[in-house]
Amino acid sequence: MDVSSARSLTRRQIMQACLAIGTGLMLPGCGWTLAEVRPALSKGNKDELSIYTWESYIDPELTETFHTQTGINVTADIYDSNETMLATFQSGKGAIYSVIYPSDYKVAEMIERKLLSVLDHSRINGIDNLMPEFQDSVYDPGNQHSMPISWGTTGLIYNTEALNPGPEDWEDLWRMQAKLNRKMTLLADFREVMGATLKSLGFSYNSTNPSEVRQAYQKLVQLKPAITTFTTDAWRDRLLAGDLILAMAYSADAVRLIQENPDANLRYVIPASGTSLWSDAMVIPVTSPNPDAAYEWINFMMQPSVAVEVTRRLFFATPNQAAYDQLPLPLRNNRSLFPPEAVIQACERIIPLEPKETEMYEQYWTKLTSG
Amino acid sequence: MTLPIATRTEAQAPPAWLQPVLMLAPAAVWLALLLVIPTGLIFQLSLVPGIRPGQVVNPSGLDNYIRILQPDYFPVLTRSLFFALGTTIACLILGFPVAYWIAIKVPKRWQNLVLLSFVLPLWTSSLLRSYAWITILRPTGVLNTLLGKVGIPALDILNREPAVLIGMTYSLLPYMVLILYASLEKLDRRLLEAAADLGATPRQAFWRVTVPQSLTGIAAGALLVFITSMGDFINPEILGGASSMTVARLIYNQFLGATQNWGFGSALSMVLILVVSLAIALLLKYGDRNAAGGV
Amino acid sequence: MSQAAIQNQAPTITDAGFDVELRKVSKVYNNETVVRGIDLSIRRGEFFSILGPSGCGKTTTLRLMAGFETPSAGDVLIQGRFMNQVPPYRRPVNTVFQSYALFNHLTVWENVAFGLRLRKFSKAEIQQRVDEALKLVKMDGFAKRFPTQLSGGQQQRVALARALVNRPTVLLLDEPLGALDLKLRKEMQMELSNLHRELGLTFVMVTHDQEEALSLSDRIAVMNQGKVEQIDAPEKIYQQPQTPFVADFIGDTNLFHGKIEGFYPTMLWVITESGLKVKAKQPENGNTLTSGAVVLSIRPENIRLSLAVPDDEGNSFEGRLRNVMYLGTHAHYQVELLSGDRVTVMRPNVPTHLPGADTPIFVSWSAQDCLALPLV
Repeated sequence: MDVSSARSLTRRQIMQACLAIGTGLMLPGCGWTLAEVRPALSKGNKDELSIYTWESYIDPELTETFHTQTGINVTADIYDSNETMLATFQSGKGAIYSVIYPSDYKVAEMIERKLLSVLDHSRINGIDNLMPEFQDSVYDPGNQHSMPISWGTTGLIYNTEALNPGPEDWEDLWRMQAKLNRKMTLLADFREVMGATLKSLGFSYNSTNPSEVRQAYQKLVQLKPAITTFTTDAWRDRLLAGDLILAMAYSADAVRLIQENPDANLRYVIPASGTSLWSDAMVIPVTSPNPDAAYEWINFMMQPSVAVEVTRRLFFATPNQAAYDQLPLPLRNNRSLFPPEAVIQACERIIPLEPKETEMYEQYWTKLTSG
Repeated sequence: MTLPIATRTEAQAPPAWLQPVLMLAPAAVWLALLLVIPTGLIFQLSLVPGIRPGQVVNPSGLDNYIRILQPDYFPVLTRSLFFALGTTIACLILGFPVAYWIAIKVPKRWQNLVLLSFVLPLWTSSLLRSYAWITILRPTGVLNTLLGKVGIPALDILNREPAVLIGMTYSLLPYMVLILYASLEKLDRRLLEAAADLGATPRQAFWRVTVPQSLTGIAAGALLVFITSMGDFINPEILGGASSMTVARLIYNQFLGATQNWGFGSALSMVLILVVSLAIALLLKYGDRNAAGGV
Repeated sequence: MSQAAIQNQAPTITDAGFDVELRKVSKVYNNETVVRGIDLSIRRGEFFSILGPSGCGKTTTLRLMAGFETPSAGDVLIQGRFMNQVPPYRRPVNTVFQSYALFNHLTVWENVAFGLRLRKFSKAEIQQRVDEALKLVKMDGFAKRFPTQLSGGQQQRVALARALVNRPTVLLLDEPLGALDLKLRKEMQMELSNLHRELGLTFVMVTHDQEEALSLSDRIAVMNQGKVEQIDAPEKIYQQPQTPFVADFIGDTNLFHGKIEGFYPTMLWVITESGLKVKAKQPENGNTLTSGAVVLSIRPENIRLSLAVPDDEGNSFEGRLRNVMYLGTHAHYQVELLSGDRVTVMRPNVPTHLPGADTPIFVSWSAQDCLALPLV
């Protein structure tokens, strides 16, 4: 047979083969579990501890002090969003970490997915030092899987010279839209952004009512031309440089920037109508290679003296009452770090949503960012 | 004395197909492990609506693909195409003169050095290069400072579409220059002499001889830039604004974002693969026409 | 210069019958002088060849005419107009390149139409002229083919058509037949000759093949190391070479170096370095040689062989037969003279009995066939 028909015969055979494989893949029954996470089979080196945390929670001094106290070497990897952390963890890379710092709603999710080991409270010192509101948590009843390490709010940090008077509530973003034009950023987290908008409309931060969510989306569409971009971290340099005059930010990041740049005329405000209250906690994943060292670390961080140092240096609010009492007065009275009770009452925690509801949010988010 | 030597060697000789198979085997295994099987897995995932990590994979239908057809997602695809086409055209317009100059005007002994200097940016991290553009394009950045000195009002480029195009073009320009250089370097100068002899001015010779002769290079460069920029995630993320959602970022959100919908993400990935394959097929067909004419 | 400026140049005061003139043209590359102050005048309608060994500067000379090179000194004129600063695309010449340089991204038809399209002829006109040109070179059936689908000979004809279709004043050909096999070359030589006669254009051809030059040209310029040694009609070049180089390069010859012993207006006596006393003819160009070193040239076909001493007054010397090369219609005999010189003799046919290696034989030639050439 001549070459061309021989070649086309092979091509046809290839197509048939592909079709066969394709249909084979479509058949149910060849079920495998996606990104399955299994407990560690072997223990790691007992003098090595690998932790996975946010950038503002760790610095070399901390690990040095720990090493001096316990002789354990600490390596830390950084993530900038809970989603990245979970994705890394699921991809199997997370199996090297013994301590992770998920946020509250992520802890709930990880508990549901059976990714966290139960904490043996008898091995942890200083649980009594925690502030009353942190002795128990709605996302992790009895703190069975997690130990709170920091907490805060989501608010607005702005340049007081450029905005005078400044914003006091979410609604001010829309009111001052002309002035804020292309000089403002919002968080890259669609729960936070949608939640804040829902709040400005008088709805719950966690609303799943389709009509309410739609209204929030439409309100955001109005604001969009004035938004430079959605970012969680990139606003810091630009706010200092003057490219931006307002950013939606987490209290820990905002307070840190203000404290480190006292001449920058920056102020952090917690919106009056209420915002999201977040807390981060230390957890030990089931895949942890060195649980003993993990407990050492948790105990270390729960020490009041350490908590005080950490708050003073890294500016995140500690849930540790004993530590709080030892803080210097200026820090204790910093209402951005430790807002008064009345403000806390107005806040909501972000609660995890059902997949269908998450998809609804995500679809609006896609529409918002692609229009 | 006649020994049946011929038949003996025939019986012992390995079959004719063995050598090609052995030579192709490493590449075939590599391709199978790293391309065919993963693509197959993604295809399988794309058939499960709403699958999340930790769940069992049970292919059930084309729901994910139907979802892509919703009007919400169309602007995302068109934006990606816009960025990809824009970057390709920009790279061609900027890259061709550079490649031409290096291949034809620069003396042979300097060519490699000059080429190297154009390709040098590739040695740095692409992420760093994109961040560098932030420093340049910011409202108070380098560009606006310079413009201010000349009295031109500041340009608001960063966090808009032009910034993304600039970032992408800058990232991919060295590749385009390299590919075009390879093509132009093989250009037969005598053809240009023949064109001049027949009455073509340098400009006419360029459009009627140089460009057609380098069409395969142009096609290859355009293909590379197009495919890479369709999948570019960093530049829209860093340099883009509130409206810079591209297919790459959408896929990212599905896998690494809050939605964790690996099924939808896989379906989007398959669509991306399809679009890119279409582009390849088109460009190859066009390049083939040149092959018929003889390269 | 603009096209208008070229046309408006008043022709210089020369014989307007010269299509191409080179006046004291030199070309220097990287401190190497490739063309040394040459003068050429090519008449309208001539078939002019530039002949020489590789590296003699003939291709550079052609390129100077085409405009691909600018002269380092001297002037290039085409139809009486100065062309030094004129780029190739404004000169009324077309070139057939040694490598054909066909555009492989265009069909044969489009290749030929290339020049016409640039000059914006009407579609009808282009169609007619291209078809005409293809028919002229017998390639009319190949219009839709691509150059890579053609053989060497076919490509060469397309290159010819592509040049001719523009009706240039002068057609330049750079070793056009070099890449073809012998039989094809002979065919193409015939076709070139016919074309030249039909079209009446001026042809300037560069070649290293002397047979080609001799058979096709009206006049030949022989070049060596950047200089023109002689310009003459083929017969004169062959029979009356004016320098040792030309004598040696054209055809086969036997050369003897020697000194003049005595002279007459039409004859002279020369003692060769090997001690032979030879009677030779004075050069035809009027240059009477009187003394000093000379080179004698005798063509092999002008030498006779005999077993007995010849009885005429010509030069005759004794020698021994060393080698015979049979070449079909004739044979070359290598004879070693008693003086030590080796002489090549060419005679038609081969006698059935050849003398042995020790048998004395005699070579002889008349003084009329023995040219004396001054050592340059």
